[in-house]
Amino acid sequence: MTTTRNRILAAALLPLLAACGSDTETGGSPWDVLARTAVEAAAAKTAPGAPAAQPKSPEEAAAEALRVNPGPLIRASFELLNQNPIMAMAGQNGDMRTYMTPAEDALILRNGLLVGTRGLGQDLSVAVAQTEPLIRAGRAGSGQRTMYYYTGDGLERPLQFACTVGAGPKPGVMVEDCEGHGASFQNSYLVQGGQVPVSRQWIGPALGYVTIQTLRP
Amino acid sequence: MRRSLIIRRLMATTLPAAMVLGSVSSTAVAEPLIARNMSSFGMPGGIDTPTAEMLPDGTLGGTVSYSDYALRNNVTFQAMPRLTTALRYSRIDGINDHNDLGHIWDRSLDLRLLLLEQQGWRPAVAVGLMDFLGTGVHSGEYLVATKDITPQLRASVGLGWGALAGQPRSIDIRDEGGTPKVEDWFSGTPKPFASLNWQVNDRLSLVAEYSYNNYRASYTNGDTVWEIQQGEDEPGSNLNLGAYYSFGRSYQVGLYTIGGETIGAQFSFALNPRTAPYPSGLEKAPAPVRPRPSRTSDPEGWSGQWAADPTAQPAIQAALGDALMEEGIVLEGMVLTANRAEARIENQRYIQQAEAIGRTARLMTRALPPSVDTLVITSTPDGVPTSSVTLRRSDVERLENSPAGEIAAVAQISDAAPRPQGLVYSDELYPDFSWRLGPYLDLGLFDPDDPLRYEVGAELSGIWELVPGLVLTGRVRQGFFGNIDQRGPGIPPELNGGERGDHYTPEEYESDPSLETTPEGVPRVRSDTRMYTGNSSPTIPELTLAWYAKPTENVYTRVTAGLLERAYGGISAEVMWWPTSSPLALGVEVNRVRKRDFDSLFSFRDYEATTAFVSAYYQFAQGYSAELDIGQYLAGDKGATVTLAREFANGWRVGAYVTKTDLSAEEFGEGSYDKGIMLSLPLSWATGKPSRNRATTTIRSLSRDGGARVDVSGRLYDTLRDSHEVELYQGWGRFWR
Repeated sequence: MTTTRNRILAAALLPLLAACGSDTETGGSPWDVLARTAVEAAAAKTAPGAPAAQPKSPEEAAAEALRVNPGPLIRASFELLNQNPIMAMAGQNGDMRTYMTPAEDALILRNGLLVGTRGLGQDLSVAVAQTEPLIRAGRAGSGQRTMYYYTGDGLERPLQFACTVGAGPKPGVMVEDCEGHGASFQNSYLVQGGQVPVSRQWIGPALGYVTIQTLRP
Repeated sequence: MRRSLIIRRLMATTLPAAMVLGSVSSTAVAEPLIARNMSSFGMPGGIDTPTAEMLPDGTLGGTVSYSDYALRNNVTFQAMPRLTTALRYSRIDGINDHNDLGHIWDRSLDLRLLLLEQQGWRPAVAVGLMDFLGTGVHSGEYLVATKDITPQLRASVGLGWGALAGQPRSIDIRDEGGTPKVEDWFSGTPKPFASLNWQVNDRLSLVAEYSYNNYRASYTNGDTVWEIQQGEDEPGSNLNLGAYYSFGRSYQVGLYTIGGETIGAQFSFALNPRTAPYPSGLEKAPAPVRPRPSRTSDPEGWSGQWAADPTAQPAIQAALGDALMEEGIVLEGMVLTANRAEARIENQRYIQQAEAIGRTARLMTRALPPSVDTLVITSTPDGVPTSSVTLRRSDVERLENSPAGEIAAVAQISDAAPRPQGLVYSDELYPDFSWRLGPYLDLGLFDPDDPLRYEVGAELSGIWELVPGLVLTGRVRQGFFGNIDQRGPGIPPELNGGERGDHYTPEEYESDPSLETTPEGVPRVRSDTRMYTGNSSPTIPELTLAWYAKPTENVYTRVTAGLLERAYGGISAEVMWWPTSSPLALGVEVNRVRKRDFDSLFSFRDYEATTAFVSAYYQFAQGYSAELDIGQYLAGDKGATVTLAREFANGWRVGAYVTKTDLSAEEFGEGSYDKGIMLSLPLSWATGKPSRNRATTTIRSLSRDGGARVDVSGRLYDTLRDSHEVELYQGWGRFWR
């Protein structure tokens, strides 16, 4: 009898109990977090179906970004993620620039060469490329490239690749071929006066290639 | 010395390429053979028989296998690269005990040690113990060799003793169990077993095996021995066949026959700590480091004259505090001079303290005038300053977006000063009140009548930090439904005409205080824990005031008073010596408690106890840790607890403990002494979202009175460990994340 009543009460109350509090950061129990994650995942899944505000063409988006944003801008096309956000420079440290999306995912470039990514879940922590001066100078040669990844077990792990740099089939394009650990990839850079206005670079095994196009240097 | 070793480990290694690239390239180095399928005993294997295979190091998995003979729930952990362990909770059909259910529930523990790896012509060789804590239905030992014949075909041949040879060891029904019987190991006539695994494709493998396990059990009362058939009949033949299909990143289903007549099905999953769905996390990118302007463009900032302006520090501190708050970091206080700034932070978001420190360093470069060239970041969990990381600002500027090992090499980690001169606490932080209203789920395992019990309800909790280090915590719960009803402890058979399995009713138990001591004279400190469950009115599981302090550079203290846990209230005091650079911590804890009434409100029962422990904690390199506690437990028994754990840099913790006190096996009851395993996995590992929340559980044998301790929250070791040097360095890979 009381059990039945309790169950009805519970059924009525539980939906209201999606936890609330002053501080979702520290107060949550494991199952709050899982519930939140599930709700967010469900929301993310339904979102594409919902009619989005008039999708902008890439040109319109670029024009708008150039209008509202006075600083340097790039467009990054992530091939495997199927996303091509416009990213604005959020900071500069020497010749290193950090570009961010409005959602604060980041690409870090050194004079146009990819140094790292942030916020994408399978980020490239750091790339250290001996081939960088060759690419910039438009010279052929070879060198080592070390790519650091943060792995699931909680360590930053280096992967080393042997790379050769040479002129590509198209004029002004340098191609970097890298191989190691049974994997290979090819980066290409359009080099103009030491700058790299357009490039296609490999982030890592999970994220694949990103094409980076400078909208405003 | 140790430090450079840790840094080398951070920067190091060529090993993990396959793991990042997901390719399984064969290497010249001998590595353990990785299992293709799980056996019905939840170990890498054939169908019922073992193999010399292992799981990837650190893998935590589960297998549920069901046939007419048994339902086996297995938890498996690859504790070391060459050591596999499995904890099993099986329902064995056909055997009847006092509960008269037609089956028994049985716990068992297995170990397998890889002796030799496969290399050239040599097969992999392993030795194993099944159900080795005391004599059980599955008790047996084996030696097994496994070899890849072709890339698809893998063969195992072994010798088995005990159950594996069809010679079940006799279980003495007068025995409390739980103690290894070394003299029985590898005794009797061994019988061979063999299995063949054909990997059809990436997902499917087919297995055939030859096994002497006849599914019998043997019992003795000292005089007579009687054998019982599990299930209905002995297997029709020694040949078993199975098919296993893997899907997703971590699941496997299987179908098998035992002896051709009995069909079984199983499901397995395995979590590998190395293959998180979002290894680098989905948190927003950190703020870029802002290099200082040139001296000519900001001569005033570089001169340091700003430090004389009394409005400067409050403005800087407020700006930095706001920016840190966005990152889930509380700026508790700050010491600021013309060329040095110390930020005291409490990390509320990141599982790795190093990530909070890295983000703070980045924001300090953006908030501080250029004359400040030394950045000190002090971690203050629960208001207690633990370690300080000192960085040269020029190093932070120079090393942004370089491998994490490089900033580790120039960072200095030291003990935080307890009360630095010039410390200014941030305005309006204290008293800080936070609350939460949400559901809770309580689980109870291992009750033979109902192996999975649960209770669901609502919980309101609040934390009020009055000043740094002084915290008032309270929780109120209202249960809605579930089946963990209130129940008295089991009636000892000698008081019940020899009948076992009956329990006192709550009314009987409450009305007769003499029942709160067992016939052996042991106070019931935990065996009446079910008296505290199933309350239909609100309960207060916790209401405490805790005070944390750091009297000297290496010494920490905690005093907690109030309703400490569901069953005990009182006062708990702890002192710990732990220099930040030391892998060794020493602690003393004394608790004076009184047993609470079963309604879990403000009244108490008569039982009072003092527990006291001397504890040593040691963090070995390579992620292993040990803890030794010696002292007096809740029932007045004296003894020691040994805990060993594997701790991964990603925050996974898996451990096991054993407690032996001066209670005899008869006084303790079933199991003879207390033991259990602990699992704690950070939720951020699974979701990618930054969070300090963990899913934590302790799986222990029955609630017994021996070796019981008061369950005080916020113990010093757990509070301090994240920001001490060993774990700081362990998580250092996230510094620039």
